[in-house]
Amino acid sequence: MEQSVDIRELNERIKNESSFVDLLTIEMNKVIVGQKHLVEGLLVGLLSDGHILLEGLPGLAKTLAINTLATIVDADFSRIQFTPDLLPADLIGTMIYSQKKEEFIMKKGPIFTNFVLADEINRAPAKVQSALLEAMQERQVTIGETTHVLDKPFLVMATQNPIEQEGTYPLPEAQVDRFMLKLVIDYPQKEEEQMIIRHNLAQSFPKASTILKPDDIIRARKVVKDVYMDEKIEKYIIDIVFSTRYPAQYNLEKYEEMISFGCSPRASINLSLAAKAYAFIKRRGYVIPEDVRAVCHDVLRHRIGLSYEADANNITTVEVINDILNTVEVP
Amino acid sequence: MNKVVIDLFNMTKRFNIKTIFAVILVAVLGMATSVSAQNVNVTATLDSTMIFIGGQVDLKLEISQPNNVTINFPLLNDTVTKNIEIVEKGGIDSLNIDNKRLILTQLFRVTSFDSGLHYISPLEFEIIDGESRSIASSNALSLMVVNPFKEVDPEKGMTDIKGPIDTPFKIVEIINYIYLYGGILLALALLIWLYLYYRKNKIDKDTSFKKPKPTEPAHIIALRELDKIKESKLWEHNKVKQFYTEVSNTIRNYIEHRYEQPALEQTSVEILASLKSNNEIDKKSMEQLQQVLELSDLVKFAKFTPLADENGLTLMNSYFFVNQTKLEVIKSLEEEKQIMINNESKE
Repeated sequence: MEQSVDIRELNERIKNESSFVDLLTIEMNKVIVGQKHLVEGLLVGLLSDGHILLEGLPGLAKTLAINTLATIVDADFSRIQFTPDLLPADLIGTMIYSQKKEEFIMKKGPIFTNFVLADEINRAPAKVQSALLEAMQERQVTIGETTHVLDKPFLVMATQNPIEQEGTYPLPEAQVDRFMLKLVIDYPQKEEEQMIIRHNLAQSFPKASTILKPDDIIRARKVVKDVYMDEKIEKYIIDIVFSTRYPAQYNLEKYEEMISFGCSPRASINLSLAAKAYAFIKRRGYVIPEDVRAVCHDVLRHRIGLSYEADANNITTVEVINDILNTVEVP
Repeated sequence: MNKVVIDLFNMTKRFNIKTIFAVILVAVLGMATSVSAQNVNVTATLDSTMIFIGGQVDLKLEISQPNNVTINFPLLNDTVTKNIEIVEKGGIDSLNIDNKRLILTQLFRVTSFDSGLHYISPLEFEIIDGESRSIASSNALSLMVVNPFKEVDPEKGMTDIKGPIDTPFKIVEIINYIYLYGGILLALALLIWLYLYYRKNKIDKDTSFKKPKPTEPAHIIALRELDKIKESKLWEHNKVKQFYTEVSNTIRNYIEHRYEQPALEQTSVEILASLKSNNEIDKKSMEQLQQVLELSDLVKFAKFTPLADENGLTLMNSYFFVNQTKLEVIKSLEEEKQIMINNESKE
């Protein structure tokens, strides 16, 4: 009985703490038309302290989305266009000699902000990618001999252009794994596109209002971690992740030769965190299987390595995840 | 020897019989002394005295000699005579015999492309015994080479090319091909069989993943399971979570087999949505199902502790849902009759 009281209290607390989610969504929807999945993904990433890899064609409001989020949260935002001649120092900063002071002073790079949009991350060489991914992982940057902790919240949204392959440096699997979510966004619907035209042709483009402070996000993150996850849900997550490693054990023998490597334990951690964040967005104090399934594609799609056989059969990770979700028994 | 005879014939023309006799006697004695002194016997033999043009025959040279004598064989490289060619030259083979003698043999495979009778003059072997040297000659041979073809008379004008010789068919001629192609066909057949066998096994394995269809109707199984849950009185034993897990599993199993949808792999929301889209279930039954699934989710995932009345209501709604949605099988008269007979016989 005591446990049920706890969960009711937790439910109430989460309902109160997550009240800003609706407001935030309304503000986002003022500026971003459609792209509900992108907005939800951004929120999940923001609330679970994860970073987002975004794949989509140009002009789908990627920059606008993260910029709007920064405005709503009253956070700093910077956009870095990754190019082949970009250097790590251009990203994290460097020591420059000041003639006035007659000493080396630190020049901070654009990474010292709350929200970073790393545009076309696969255009920069590996050393720049590594510098960014290290900052994402460690949440700190070392310039010269001094280590600087990055501001909180720190969210990186990196984009990849799925069309062009020539002259790009695709992220290695180990580095892609560091992104909590990989969102794939598509074109808006007809009605949504009509609304976009109207927004852009109006006298003044809609602007989002600041309704939160970065501290609110940090507090919300703590609450997200308190969202209750039952043992049954944990086992469900483990089953999903294990089915990517040992498909035959889950009646998915057809993928035995098609999956070259399955998801890492980081996938289990991120799937749990993202499911909790999703439950929080839905203003629930506990995780249900729907939450896991809702974030499963975004968490796992970049963590499953497909073999050449899968490529030859036009099998995508989306199909693999769909089959897994349709085969693994829901608790 | 023939040369000797010819010489003798010429000599008869010039000398009288006595003189000739004396010369022959001296020569024969001299030869006999020489050969017997060396005690060397040389023979040359042919396998056959007649061959077709281009045919081959073995020429065997054999020397019987004492062990202490050295013999130099005649140097024959390409030809034996102008018309007889050497095809293959064998090595000198030696054989020791008991009385301190040695037999040396050498084989030549020879051929000829000129028709006619070819004379092979005696072949000369050099005998070296210490410091003395002498010559031993073999016997002369003749080889008849026959041309089997008709002579072409150019005066008769142009003639057509001869057609292929018609020979009777023999299975031996194609036996190798039969083995080769037969083997390839057998290997192909084996590969095809292996492929089909593998494919069949794969299909069998694939289909083995499908859940077996129960032999009994879905509602019979579900009602039996619900009876068991009711009898076990789980919630009274403080096993509320287990009670709701079993009830929801029973209902989901029932839906899976009754409506043939993967309810065990679906969430409650998905189950309700798909059943709603079917439009097969009345509103009241849907409400009952929703109550069962939603409350089960709360207990299973949110540590929710329902009231005792809610437990009873969940079980009751489960019974109602199954009974209201069960698929009634209308039995034929004969089946009904058979059941009645069975019941009577049991009584």
